Amino acid sequence: MEYSKEELEELKHYCTKLSLLPEGGVNFIYMEGLRLPAGCTPSVCDALLCPVPKDGYPSRLYLSTEVKSPYTQNWNVRNFRIGEKNWFAFSRRIELANPTLAQVLVAHLTGFTRDK
Amino acid sequence: MSTDRYSRQSFLGASAEAMISRCTIGIVGLGGGGSHIVQQLAHIGFQRFVLYDDDVVEESNLNRLIGATSADVLAETPKLHIAKMMIYGLQPAASVRGFACKWQEKPEPLRECQIVFGCVDSYKGREELEIACRRYLMHYIDIGMDVYGKERPVIGGQVILSSPGGLCMRCMGFLTDDKLAQEAALYGNAGHHPQVVWPNGVLASTAVGLAVDLVTNWTCRGRSHAYLVYDGNDATVKESITLRNIKIGTCSHFSDSDVGDPILVEL
Amino acid sequence: MSTEIKLSGGLHAEIMHDLTRTHPFAAERVGFVFGRMGSHGRLILLNRFHSIPDDQYVDDPAVGARIGEEALTWAMQAVYQCRPTREGIFHIHLHGHKGEPQMSRVDSHEIPRLLPGFQSMDRDAAHGIIILSLDHGSGWVWLPGDKGPCQVDSINIIGVPIGVFEQEEKR
Repeated sequence: MEYSKEELEELKHYCTKLSLLPEGGVNFIYMEGLRLPAGCTPSVCDALLCPVPKDGYPSRLYLSTEVKSPYTQNWNVRNFRIGEKNWFAFSRRIELANPTLAQVLVAHLTGFTRDK
Repeated sequence: MSTDRYSRQSFLGASAEAMISRCTIGIVGLGGGGSHIVQQLAHIGFQRFVLYDDDVVEESNLNRLIGATSADVLAETPKLHIAKMMIYGLQPAASVRGFACKWQEKPEPLRECQIVFGCVDSYKGREELEIACRRYLMHYIDIGMDVYGKERPVIGGQVILSSPGGLCMRCMGFLTDDKLAQEAALYGNAGHHPQVVWPNGVLASTAVGLAVDLVTNWTCRGRSHAYLVYDGNDATVKESITLRNIKIGTCSHFSDSDVGDPILVEL
Repeated sequence: MSTEIKLSGGLHAEIMHDLTRTHPFAAERVGFVFGRMGSHGRLILLNRFHSIPDDQYVDDPAVGARIGEEALTWAMQAVYQCRPTREGIFHIHLHGHKGEPQMSRVDSHEIPRLLPGFQSMDRDAAHGIIILSLDHGSGWVWLPGDKGPCQVDSINIIGVPIGVFEQEEKR
Protein backbone atom coordinates (compact mmCIF):
# COMPACT_ATOMS: atom_id res chain seq x y z
CA MET A 1 0.00 0.00 0.00
CA GLU A 2 1.30 3.47 -0.89
CA TYR A 3 0.93 6.32 1.56
CA SER A 4 0.55 9.91 0.39
CA LYS A 5 3.57 12.15 0.71
CA GLU A 6 1.57 14.85 2.45
CA GLU A 7 0.24 12.48 5.07
CA LEU A 8 3.69 11.10 5.76
CA GLU A 9 5.10 14.61 6.14
CA GLU A 10 2.36 15.36 8.65
CA LEU A 11 3.31 12.27 10.66
CA LYS A 12 6.89 13.45 10.92
CA HIS A 13 5.77 16.18 13.31
CA TYR A 14 5.07 13.55 15.95
CA CYS A 15 8.39 11.74 15.96
CA THR A 16 12.11 12.09 15.27
CA LYS A 17 12.32 9.69 12.33
CA LEU A 18 9.83 8.03 10.03
CA SER A 19 10.49 4.84 8.08
CA LEU A 20 8.66 2.09 6.27
CA LEU A 21 8.80 -1.51 7.50
CA PRO A 22 7.27 -4.02 5.12
CA GLU A 23 6.40 -7.40 6.59
CA GLY A 24 3.94 -10.15 5.81
CA GLY A 25 2.16 -8.07 3.18
CA VAL A 26 1.71 -5.04 5.48
CA ASN A 27 3.62 -1.75 5.25
CA PHE A 28 4.07 -0.67 8.84
CA ILE A 29 5.08 2.93 9.48
CA TYR A 30 7.97 2.95 11.92
CA MET A 31 8.04 6.04 14.09
CA GLU A 32 11.21 6.49 16.09
CA GLY A 33 10.96 8.76 19.10
CA LEU A 34 7.17 9.13 19.11
CA ARG A 35 6.20 11.77 21.62
CA LEU A 36 3.44 10.45 23.88
CA PRO A 37 0.75 12.60 25.52
CA ALA A 38 1.41 14.33 28.83
CA GLY A 39 1.07 12.01 31.78
CA CYS A 40 2.55 9.00 30.01
CA THR A 41 5.55 7.09 31.26
CA PRO A 42 7.78 6.91 29.33
CA SER A 43 7.14 10.14 27.51
CA VAL A 44 8.80 8.97 24.30
CA CYS A 45 9.03 5.56 22.67
CA ASP A 46 9.22 3.94 19.26
CA ALA A 47 6.01 2.96 17.52
CA LEU A 48 4.66 1.08 14.56
CA LEU A 49 1.55 2.47 12.97
CA CYS A 50 -0.53 0.01 11.00
CA PRO A 51 -3.21 2.12 9.32
CA VAL A 52 -4.85 -0.86 7.62
CA PRO A 53 -7.06 -3.56 9.17
CA LYS A 54 -5.04 -5.98 11.25
CA ASP A 55 -5.98 -8.68 13.74
CA GLY A 56 -9.58 -7.58 13.73
CA TYR A 57 -8.93 -3.87 14.26
CA PRO A 58 -9.39 -1.16 11.59
CA SER A 59 -5.93 0.11 12.52
CA ARG A 60 -3.34 -0.55 15.18
CA LEU A 61 -0.64 1.36 17.03
CA TYR A 62 2.15 -0.82 18.41
CA LEU A 63 4.59 0.61 20.93
CA SER A 64 8.08 -0.51 21.87
CA THR A 65 7.08 -0.69 25.53
CA GLU A 66 4.02 -0.88 27.70
CA VAL A 67 3.14 2.68 28.68
CA LYS A 68 1.72 3.90 32.00
CA SER A 69 -0.92 6.59 31.62
CA PRO A 70 -3.68 8.25 33.65
CA TYR A 71 -6.24 5.87 32.14
CA THR A 72 -5.98 2.10 32.41
CA GLN A 73 -5.56 0.29 29.13
CA ASN A 74 -6.23 -3.27 28.11
CA TRP A 75 -2.79 -4.28 26.83
CA ASN A 76 -3.83 -7.23 24.73
CA VAL A 77 -0.64 -7.25 22.70
CA ARG A 78 2.50 -8.08 24.63
CA ASN A 79 5.75 -9.06 22.96
CA PHE A 80 4.26 -9.42 19.49
CA ARG A 81 7.11 -9.82 17.09
CA ILE A 82 7.16 -7.45 14.12
CA GLY A 83 10.30 -6.56 12.21
CA GLU A 84 12.36 -8.75 14.53
CA LYS A 85 11.45 -6.66 17.57
CA ASN A 86 8.85 -7.07 20.28
CA TRP A 87 5.88 -4.72 20.47
CA PHE A 88 2.98 -3.86 22.74
CA ALA A 89 -0.46 -2.51 22.00
CA PHE A 90 -3.64 -1.79 23.89
CA SER A 91 -7.07 -2.53 22.60
CA ARG A 92 -8.51 0.52 20.88
CA ARG A 93 -10.95 0.45 18.00
CA ILE A 94 -10.78 3.56 15.82
CA GLU A 95 -13.75 4.13 13.55
CA LEU A 96 -13.17 7.20 11.42
CA ALA A 97 -14.29 7.92 7.88
CA ASN A 98 -11.26 8.28 5.57
CA PRO A 99 -8.84 9.44 8.23
CA THR A 100 -5.37 10.73 7.44
CA LEU A 101 -2.43 8.87 8.95
CA ALA A 102 -2.01 11.59 11.57
CA GLN A 103 -5.68 11.37 12.49
CA VAL A 104 -5.32 7.63 13.01
CA LEU A 105 -2.26 8.16 15.16
CA VAL A 106 -3.87 10.86 17.28
CA ALA A 107 -7.01 8.80 17.71
CA HIS A 108 -4.92 5.95 19.14
CA LEU A 109 -2.90 8.26 21.37
CA THR A 110 -6.09 9.78 22.72
CA GLY A 111 -6.59 6.49 24.48
CA PHE A 112 -3.94 7.59 26.94
CA THR A 113 -5.62 10.88 27.81
CA ARG A 114 -9.30 10.16 28.15
CA ASP A 115 -11.56 7.43 29.31
CA LYS A 116 -13.41 5.40 26.66
CA MET B 1 26.34 -43.99 12.48
CA SER B 2 25.84 -47.75 12.48
CA THR B 3 24.56 -49.06 9.21
CA ASP B 4 22.37 -51.55 11.12
CA ARG B 5 20.45 -48.88 12.96
CA TYR B 6 18.98 -47.31 9.86
CA SER B 7 18.81 -50.37 7.66
CA ARG B 8 15.02 -50.40 7.91
CA GLN B 9 14.75 -46.90 6.50
CA SER B 10 16.95 -47.53 3.48
CA PHE B 11 13.93 -46.86 1.24
CA LEU B 12 14.52 -43.16 1.99
CA GLY B 13 17.48 -43.26 -0.39
CA ALA B 14 21.16 -44.04 -0.32
CA SER B 15 22.11 -40.52 0.76
CA ALA B 16 19.29 -40.16 3.27
CA GLU B 17 21.38 -40.76 6.38
CA ALA B 18 23.91 -38.15 5.36
CA MET B 19 21.23 -35.65 4.37
CA ILE B 20 19.35 -36.18 7.62
CA SER B 21 22.48 -35.81 9.71
CA ARG B 22 23.37 -32.47 8.09
CA CYS B 23 19.99 -30.80 8.68
CA THR B 24 19.41 -28.44 11.56
CA ILE B 25 15.92 -28.68 13.02
CA GLY B 26 14.27 -26.09 15.20
CA ILE B 27 11.45 -27.05 17.55
CA VAL B 28 9.53 -24.30 19.29
CA GLY B 29 7.46 -25.75 22.10
CA LEU B 30 8.44 -29.03 23.75
CA GLY B 31 5.07 -29.96 25.19
CA GLY B 32 2.61 -32.56 24.05
CA GLY B 33 3.31 -32.16 20.35
CA GLY B 34 6.94 -31.11 20.48
CA SER B 35 8.00 -33.97 22.72
CA HIS B 36 6.69 -36.51 20.21
CA ILE B 37 8.54 -34.73 17.42
CA VAL B 38 11.81 -34.67 19.34
CA GLN B 39 11.57 -38.40 20.02
CA GLN B 40 10.84 -39.32 16.44
CA LEU B 41 13.50 -37.09 14.93
CA ALA B 42 16.08 -38.57 17.26
CA HIS B 43 15.07 -42.09 16.28
CA ILE B 44 15.31 -41.27 12.60
CA GLY B 45 18.84 -39.95 12.94
CA PHE B 46 18.67 -36.16 13.02
CA GLN B 47 21.74 -34.79 14.76
CA ARG B 48 21.36 -31.04 14.95
CA PHE B 49 18.68 -29.41 17.04
CA VAL B 50 17.69 -25.94 18.19
CA LEU B 51 15.06 -26.18 20.94
CA TYR B 52 12.95 -23.63 22.77
CA ASP B 53 10.69 -24.03 25.79
CA ASP B 54 10.60 -22.02 28.99
CA ASP B 55 8.29 -24.31 30.92
CA VAL B 56 8.77 -27.06 33.51
CA VAL B 57 6.97 -30.37 33.85
CA GLU B 58 3.72 -30.22 35.82
CA GLU B 59 1.33 -32.92 36.94
CA SER B 60 -1.15 -32.04 34.22
CA ASN B 61 1.53 -32.67 31.56
CA LEU B 62 1.97 -36.34 32.45
CA ASN B 63 -1.00 -37.44 30.39
CA ARG B 64 0.92 -36.54 27.22
CA LEU B 65 4.47 -35.28 27.62
CA ILE B 66 6.70 -37.92 26.03
CA GLY B 67 9.68 -38.71 28.22
CA ALA B 68 8.38 -37.06 31.39
CA THR B 69 7.86 -39.03 34.60
CA SER B 70 6.33 -38.41 38.02
CA ALA B 71 9.80 -37.67 39.35
CA ASP B 72 10.07 -34.81 36.89
CA VAL B 73 6.99 -33.19 38.39
CA LEU B 74 8.53 -33.27 41.85
CA ALA B 75 11.83 -32.02 40.51
CA GLU B 76 10.20 -29.34 38.32
CA THR B 77 12.33 -30.57 35.46
CA PRO B 78 12.43 -28.16 32.53
CA LYS B 79 10.77 -29.55 29.42
CA LEU B 80 13.94 -28.58 27.61
CA HIS B 81 15.86 -31.05 29.75
CA ILE B 82 13.39 -33.85 28.96
CA ALA B 83 13.90 -33.18 25.25
CA LYS B 84 17.68 -33.07 25.53
CA MET B 85 17.82 -36.36 27.40
CA MET B 86 15.56 -37.94 24.80
CA ILE B 87 17.88 -36.84 22.02
CA TYR B 88 21.16 -37.72 23.74
CA GLY B 89 19.79 -41.13 24.72
CA LEU B 90 19.46 -41.99 21.05
CA GLN B 91 22.09 -39.73 19.50
CA PRO B 92 24.97 -39.24 21.94
CA ALA B 93 26.90 -37.17 19.40
CA ALA B 94 24.02 -34.86 18.61
CA SER B 95 24.47 -31.11 18.67
CA VAL B 96 21.61 -29.71 20.75
CA ARG B 97 21.29 -25.99 21.39
CA GLY B 98 18.52 -25.53 23.92
CA PHE B 99 17.00 -22.32 25.21
CA ALA B 100 14.75 -22.20 28.27
CA CYS B 101 13.08 -19.06 27.05
CA LYS B 102 10.68 -17.86 24.40
CA TRP B 103 12.25 -18.01 20.97
CA GLN B 104 11.62 -14.31 20.51
CA GLU B 105 14.07 -13.61 23.32
CA LYS B 106 16.89 -15.42 21.50
CA PRO B 107 15.87 -15.62 17.86
CA GLU B 108 19.28 -15.87 16.19
CA PRO B 109 19.93 -19.62 16.64
CA LEU B 110 16.56 -20.48 15.11
CA ARG B 111 17.55 -18.74 11.89
CA GLU B 112 20.27 -21.30 11.25
CA CYS B 113 17.72 -24.08 10.86
CA GLN B 114 16.44 -25.51 7.61
CA ILE B 115 13.19 -26.74 9.15
CA VAL B 116 11.26 -25.30 12.09
CA PHE B 117 8.48 -27.13 13.87
CA GLY B 118 5.97 -24.83 15.54
CA CYS B 119 4.26 -26.54 18.47
CA VAL B 120 2.72 -23.45 20.00
CA ASP B 121 -0.76 -22.82 21.24
CA SER B 122 -1.83 -19.54 19.68
CA TYR B 123 -2.56 -18.25 16.20
CA LYS B 124 -0.42 -15.21 16.91
CA GLY B 125 2.47 -17.44 17.91
CA ARG B 126 2.13 -19.34 14.66
CA GLU B 127 1.97 -16.16 12.64
CA GLU B 128 5.15 -14.87 14.23
CA LEU B 129 7.01 -18.09 13.60
CA GLU B 130 5.92 -18.21 9.99
CA ILE B 131 7.05 -14.64 9.44
CA ALA B 132 10.47 -15.45 10.91
CA CYS B 133 10.72 -18.56 8.75
CA ARG B 134 9.95 -16.61 5.60
CA ARG B 135 12.37 -13.88 6.53
CA TYR B 136 15.22 -16.26 7.26
CA LEU B 137 14.34 -18.93 4.71
CA MET B 138 13.22 -21.97 6.66
CA HIS B 139 10.53 -24.55 6.00
CA TYR B 140 7.85 -24.13 8.66
CA ILE B 141 5.80 -27.09 9.89
CA ASP B 142 2.97 -26.30 12.27
CA ILE B 143 0.97 -28.68 14.39
CA GLY B 144 -1.87 -28.10 16.79
CA MET B 145 -4.90 -29.78 18.27
CA ASP B 146 -7.98 -28.81 20.19
CA VAL B 147 -11.12 -30.37 21.60
CA TYR B 148 -14.37 -28.57 20.86
CA GLY B 149 -17.69 -28.82 22.57
CA LYS B 150 -18.55 -30.16 26.00
CA GLU B 151 -21.66 -32.23 25.34
CA ARG B 152 -20.23 -34.11 22.34
CA PRO B 153 -16.50 -33.42 22.19
CA VAL B 154 -14.83 -33.21 18.83
CA ILE B 155 -11.09 -33.60 18.48
CA GLY B 156 -9.57 -31.55 15.70
CA GLY B 157 -6.08 -30.65 14.63
CA GLN B 158 -3.86 -29.62 11.79
CA VAL B 159 -0.46 -30.16 10.24
CA ILE B 160 0.66 -27.38 7.95
CA LEU B 161 3.74 -26.98 5.81
CA SER B 162 4.63 -23.44 4.75
CA SER B 163 7.80 -23.12 2.68
CA PRO B 164 9.67 -20.12 1.28
CA GLY B 165 8.23 -19.35 -2.13
CA GLY B 166 5.17 -21.48 -1.50
CA LEU B 167 1.72 -20.81 -0.12
CA CYS B 168 1.60 -19.45 3.40
CA MET B 169 -0.85 -20.14 6.21
CA ARG B 170 -2.97 -17.19 5.11
CA CYS B 171 -3.00 -18.35 1.50
CA MET B 172 -4.12 -21.78 2.67
CA GLY B 173 -6.95 -20.30 4.72
CA PHE B 174 -5.67 -21.39 8.11
CA LEU B 175 -4.62 -18.01 9.49
CA THR B 176 -7.27 -15.33 9.17
CA ASP B 177 -7.76 -11.89 10.66
CA ASP B 178 -10.96 -13.15 12.31
CA LYS B 179 -9.14 -15.91 14.15
CA LEU B 180 -6.41 -13.53 15.28
CA ALA B 181 -8.99 -10.97 16.38
CA GLN B 182 -11.00 -13.52 18.37
CA GLU B 183 -7.83 -14.72 20.02
CA ALA B 184 -6.78 -11.18 20.87
CA ALA B 185 -10.19 -10.53 22.40
CA LEU B 186 -9.70 -13.54 24.70
CA TYR B 187 -6.24 -12.51 25.82
CA GLY B 188 -5.72 -13.62 29.38
CA ASN B 189 -8.94 -15.57 29.43
CA ALA B 190 -8.09 -18.33 26.99
CA GLY B 191 -8.06 -20.98 29.70
CA HIS B 192 -6.50 -24.42 29.35
CA HIS B 193 -7.12 -26.24 26.12
CA PRO B 194 -7.87 -29.95 26.38
CA GLN B 195 -4.84 -31.98 25.30
CA VAL B 196 -4.40 -35.73 24.99
CA VAL B 197 -1.54 -37.91 23.83
CA TRP B 198 -2.91 -39.81 20.88
CA PRO B 199 -3.93 -36.86 18.65
CA ASN B 200 -0.59 -35.28 19.45
CA GLY B 201 1.05 -38.49 18.31
CA VAL B 202 -0.87 -38.57 15.04
CA LEU B 203 -0.12 -34.94 14.30
CA ALA B 204 3.54 -35.17 15.30
CA SER B 205 4.08 -38.30 13.24
CA THR B 206 2.47 -36.69 10.21
CA ALA B 207 4.63 -33.61 10.68
CA VAL B 208 7.79 -35.66 11.02
CA GLY B 209 6.85 -37.51 7.85
CA LEU B 210 6.61 -34.19 6.02
CA ALA B 211 10.02 -33.19 7.37
CA VAL B 212 11.70 -36.40 6.29
CA ASP B 213 10.23 -35.91 2.84
CA LEU B 214 11.56 -32.35 2.73
CA VAL B 215 15.03 -33.62 3.55
CA THR B 216 15.12 -36.68 1.30
CA ASN B 217 12.28 -36.18 -1.22
CA TRP B 218 11.74 -39.93 -0.97
CA THR B 219 8.15 -39.58 -2.25
CA CYS B 220 9.40 -37.49 -5.20
CA ARG B 221 6.44 -35.15 -4.69
CA GLY B 222 8.48 -32.00 -4.12
CA ARG B 223 5.81 -30.64 -1.81
CA SER B 224 6.02 -26.89 -1.16
CA HIS B 225 2.95 -26.62 1.04
CA ALA B 226 0.49 -28.81 2.91
CA TYR B 227 -2.59 -28.30 5.04
CA LEU B 228 -3.74 -31.55 6.58
CA VAL B 229 -6.73 -31.67 8.90
CA TYR B 230 -7.07 -34.26 11.63
CA ASP B 231 -10.50 -35.48 12.67
CA GLY B 232 -10.00 -37.27 15.96
CA ASN B 233 -13.53 -38.63 16.05
CA ASP B 234 -13.30 -40.22 12.61
CA ALA B 235 -9.60 -40.99 13.06
CA THR B 236 -8.67 -39.47 9.72
CA VAL B 237 -6.09 -37.08 8.36
CA LYS B 238 -7.14 -35.42 5.14
CA GLU B 239 -6.18 -32.47 3.00
CA SER B 240 -8.08 -29.37 4.05
CA ILE B 241 -11.10 -28.42 1.97
CA THR B 242 -9.89 -24.81 1.86
CA LEU B 243 -6.79 -25.99 0.02
CA ARG B 244 -8.85 -27.75 -2.60
CA ASN B 245 -10.84 -24.61 -3.28
CA ILE B 246 -8.03 -22.12 -3.75
CA LYS B 247 -6.22 -21.47 -6.98
CA ILE B 248 -2.67 -22.69 -6.51
CA GLY B 249 -0.46 -19.78 -7.39
CA THR B 250 2.14 -17.67 -5.67
CA CYS B 251 1.90 -16.32 -2.17
CA SER B 252 0.60 -12.78 -2.03
CA HIS B 253 1.55 -12.22 1.61
CA PHE B 254 5.30 -12.72 1.50
CA SER B 255 7.60 -11.28 -1.11
CA ASP B 256 10.96 -12.67 -2.18
CA SER B 257 12.49 -9.36 -1.23
CA ASP B 258 11.36 -9.59 2.39
CA VAL B 259 14.31 -11.71 3.46
CA GLY B 260 17.07 -10.89 5.86
CA ASP B 261 17.21 -8.49 8.74
CA PRO B 262 14.46 -5.88 8.47
CA ILE B 263 15.50 -2.75 6.68
CA LEU B 264 13.78 0.47 7.54
CA VAL B 265 13.35 2.61 4.48
CA GLU B 266 13.46 6.19 5.70
CA LEU B 267 10.56 8.28 4.48
CA MET C 1 32.78 -14.90 12.04
CA SER C 2 31.13 -17.92 10.43
CA THR C 3 28.61 -17.26 7.70
CA GLU C 4 26.06 -19.36 5.88
CA ILE C 5 24.25 -18.71 2.64
CA LYS C 6 20.59 -19.67 2.20
CA LEU C 7 18.40 -19.65 -0.86
CA SER C 8 15.06 -21.15 -1.72
CA GLY C 9 14.78 -24.28 -3.80
CA GLY C 10 12.99 -22.29 -6.47
CA LEU C 11 15.80 -19.77 -6.78
CA HIS C 12 18.42 -22.53 -6.87
CA ALA C 13 16.50 -24.28 -9.64
CA GLU C 14 16.24 -21.03 -11.60
CA ILE C 15 19.98 -20.44 -11.28
CA MET C 16 20.92 -24.00 -12.24
CA HIS C 17 18.59 -23.93 -15.21
CA ASP C 18 20.19 -20.76 -16.48
CA LEU C 19 23.80 -21.66 -15.80
CA THR C 20 23.51 -25.06 -17.47
CA ARG C 21 22.25 -23.60 -20.75
CA THR C 22 24.76 -23.65 -23.54
CA HIS C 23 26.17 -20.38 -24.77
CA PRO C 24 27.03 -19.68 -28.41
CA PHE C 25 30.74 -19.39 -27.64
CA ALA C 26 31.43 -19.29 -23.87
CA ALA C 27 32.19 -22.60 -22.18
CA GLU C 28 30.45 -21.49 -19.01
CA ARG C 29 27.71 -19.11 -18.02
CA VAL C 30 27.87 -16.45 -15.35
CA GLY C 31 25.18 -14.61 -13.46
CA PHE C 32 24.59 -12.31 -10.54
CA VAL C 33 22.51 -13.21 -7.54
CA PHE C 34 21.35 -10.73 -4.94
CA GLY C 35 20.86 -11.18 -1.24
CA ARG C 36 20.57 -9.55 2.14
CA MET C 37 22.22 -10.16 5.43
CA GLY C 38 20.57 -11.86 8.34
CA SER C 39 21.70 -11.82 11.93
CA HIS C 40 24.16 -9.05 11.06
CA GLY C 41 26.12 -11.08 8.56
CA ARG C 42 25.94 -14.57 10.02
CA LEU C 43 23.47 -15.34 7.26
CA ILE C 44 23.27 -14.28 3.64
CA LEU C 45 19.76 -14.77 2.25
CA LEU C 46 19.63 -14.78 -1.52
CA ASN C 47 16.43 -13.60 -3.14
CA ARG C 48 16.81 -12.99 -6.89
CA PHE C 49 18.94 -13.88 -9.87
CA HIS C 50 20.02 -11.92 -12.90
CA SER C 51 20.90 -13.87 -16.00
CA ILE C 52 23.52 -12.19 -18.17
CA PRO C 53 22.29 -11.91 -21.76
CA ASP C 54 24.24 -13.86 -24.36
CA ASP C 55 25.41 -10.74 -26.14
CA GLN C 56 27.05 -9.36 -23.00
CA TYR C 57 29.74 -12.04 -23.01
CA VAL C 58 33.15 -11.47 -24.59
CA ASP C 59 34.57 -14.21 -26.77
CA ASP C 60 37.77 -15.19 -24.96
CA PRO C 61 38.90 -18.79 -25.53
CA ALA C 62 41.46 -18.48 -22.75
CA VAL C 63 38.78 -18.55 -20.06
CA GLY C 64 35.51 -20.37 -19.47
CA ALA C 65 33.48 -17.18 -19.60
CA ARG C 66 34.19 -13.49 -19.75
CA ILE C 67 31.51 -10.86 -19.34
CA GLY C 68 31.77 -7.48 -20.98
CA GLU C 69 31.54 -3.90 -19.80
CA GLU C 70 27.79 -3.73 -20.31
CA ALA C 71 27.21 -6.58 -17.86
CA LEU C 72 29.57 -5.08 -15.32
CA THR C 73 28.00 -1.66 -15.64
CA TRP C 74 24.59 -3.18 -15.12
CA ALA C 75 25.84 -4.92 -11.99
CA MET C 76 27.33 -1.75 -10.54
CA GLN C 77 24.17 0.19 -11.21
CA ALA C 78 22.08 -2.56 -9.65
CA VAL C 79 24.17 -2.47 -6.49
CA TYR C 80 23.83 1.30 -6.31
CA GLN C 81 20.06 1.14 -6.75
CA CYS C 82 19.77 -1.49 -4.03
CA ARG C 83 21.50 0.63 -1.42
CA PRO C 84 18.32 1.59 0.47
CA THR C 85 17.52 -2.06 1.08
CA ARG C 86 21.16 -3.17 1.57
CA GLU C 87 20.93 -5.87 -1.06
CA GLY C 88 24.37 -7.18 -1.92
CA ILE C 89 25.52 -8.80 -5.15
CA PHE C 90 27.19 -12.15 -5.70
CA HIS C 91 28.96 -13.26 -8.86
CA ILE C 92 27.80 -16.81 -9.52
CA HIS C 93 28.81 -19.53 -11.92
CA LEU C 94 28.78 -23.31 -12.22
CA HIS C 95 31.50 -25.92 -12.37
CA GLY C 96 30.16 -28.89 -14.29
CA HIS C 97 31.27 -31.63 -11.89
CA LYS C 98 29.98 -33.14 -8.66
CA GLY C 99 31.41 -32.37 -5.26
CA GLU C 100 32.60 -29.26 -3.51
CA PRO C 101 33.76 -26.70 -6.06
CA GLN C 102 36.87 -24.62 -5.55
CA MET C 103 37.99 -21.50 -7.28
CA SER C 104 40.02 -22.26 -10.38
CA ARG C 105 43.22 -20.34 -11.01
CA VAL C 106 41.33 -18.03 -13.33
CA ASP C 107 38.45 -17.64 -10.87
CA SER C 108 40.74 -16.62 -8.03
CA HIS C 109 42.62 -14.20 -10.26
CA GLU C 110 39.69 -12.56 -11.99
CA ILE C 111 36.56 -12.58 -9.89
CA PRO C 112 37.76 -11.03 -6.61
CA ARG C 113 38.83 -7.98 -8.62
CA LEU C 114 35.16 -7.10 -8.95
CA LEU C 115 34.58 -6.85 -5.24
CA PRO C 116 36.15 -3.50 -4.41
CA GLY C 117 33.92 -1.94 -7.05
CA PHE C 118 30.81 -3.49 -5.55
CA GLN C 119 31.87 -2.43 -2.08
CA SER C 120 32.43 1.12 -3.21
CA MET C 121 28.88 1.20 -4.60
CA ASP C 122 27.41 -0.03 -1.34
CA ARG C 123 29.54 -0.37 1.76
CA ASP C 124 26.66 -1.49 3.95
CA ALA C 125 25.81 -4.67 2.08
CA ALA C 126 27.59 -7.99 1.83
CA HIS C 127 28.90 -9.00 -1.59
CA GLY C 128 30.75 -12.03 -2.81
CA ILE C 129 31.27 -14.99 -5.03
CA ILE C 130 29.39 -18.25 -5.30
CA ILE C 131 30.44 -21.27 -7.28
CA LEU C 132 27.98 -24.11 -7.70
CA SER C 133 28.63 -27.62 -8.86
CA LEU C 134 26.07 -30.18 -9.97
CA ASP C 135 25.42 -31.21 -6.36
CA HIS C 136 27.33 -28.78 -4.16
CA GLY C 137 28.42 -25.19 -3.75
CA SER C 138 30.96 -22.88 -2.20
CA GLY C 139 30.82 -19.22 -1.36
CA TRP C 140 33.02 -16.36 -0.34
CA VAL C 141 31.54 -13.31 1.33
CA TRP C 142 32.93 -9.82 1.83
CA LEU C 143 31.01 -8.51 4.80
CA PRO C 144 30.65 -4.72 5.23
CA GLY C 145 33.96 -3.26 6.20
CA ASP C 146 35.95 -6.40 5.39
CA LYS C 147 38.84 -6.07 2.97
CA GLY C 148 38.98 -9.78 2.30
CA PRO C 149 36.50 -12.63 2.07
CA CYS C 150 35.49 -15.30 4.48
CA GLN C 151 34.56 -18.64 3.00
CA VAL C 152 31.04 -19.57 4.00
CA ASP C 153 30.54 -22.61 6.21
CA SER C 154 27.66 -23.87 4.12
CA ILE C 155 25.20 -23.10 1.40
CA ASN C 156 21.66 -24.21 2.28
CA ILE C 157 19.04 -24.88 -0.37
CA ILE C 158 15.65 -24.59 1.27
CA GLY C 159 13.71 -26.64 -1.22
CA VAL C 160 12.84 -30.29 -1.70
CA PRO C 161 15.12 -32.04 -1.08
CA ILE C 162 16.89 -29.71 1.29
CA GLY C 163 20.51 -29.22 0.31
CA VAL C 164 23.19 -28.50 2.89
CA PHE C 165 26.48 -27.94 1.10
CA GLU C 166 29.08 -27.77 3.82
CA GLN C 167 32.65 -26.66 3.46
CA GLU C 168 34.57 -29.94 3.56
CA GLU C 169 37.21 -29.05 6.13
CA LYS C 170 34.64 -27.67 8.58
CA ARG C 171 32.60 -30.91 8.71
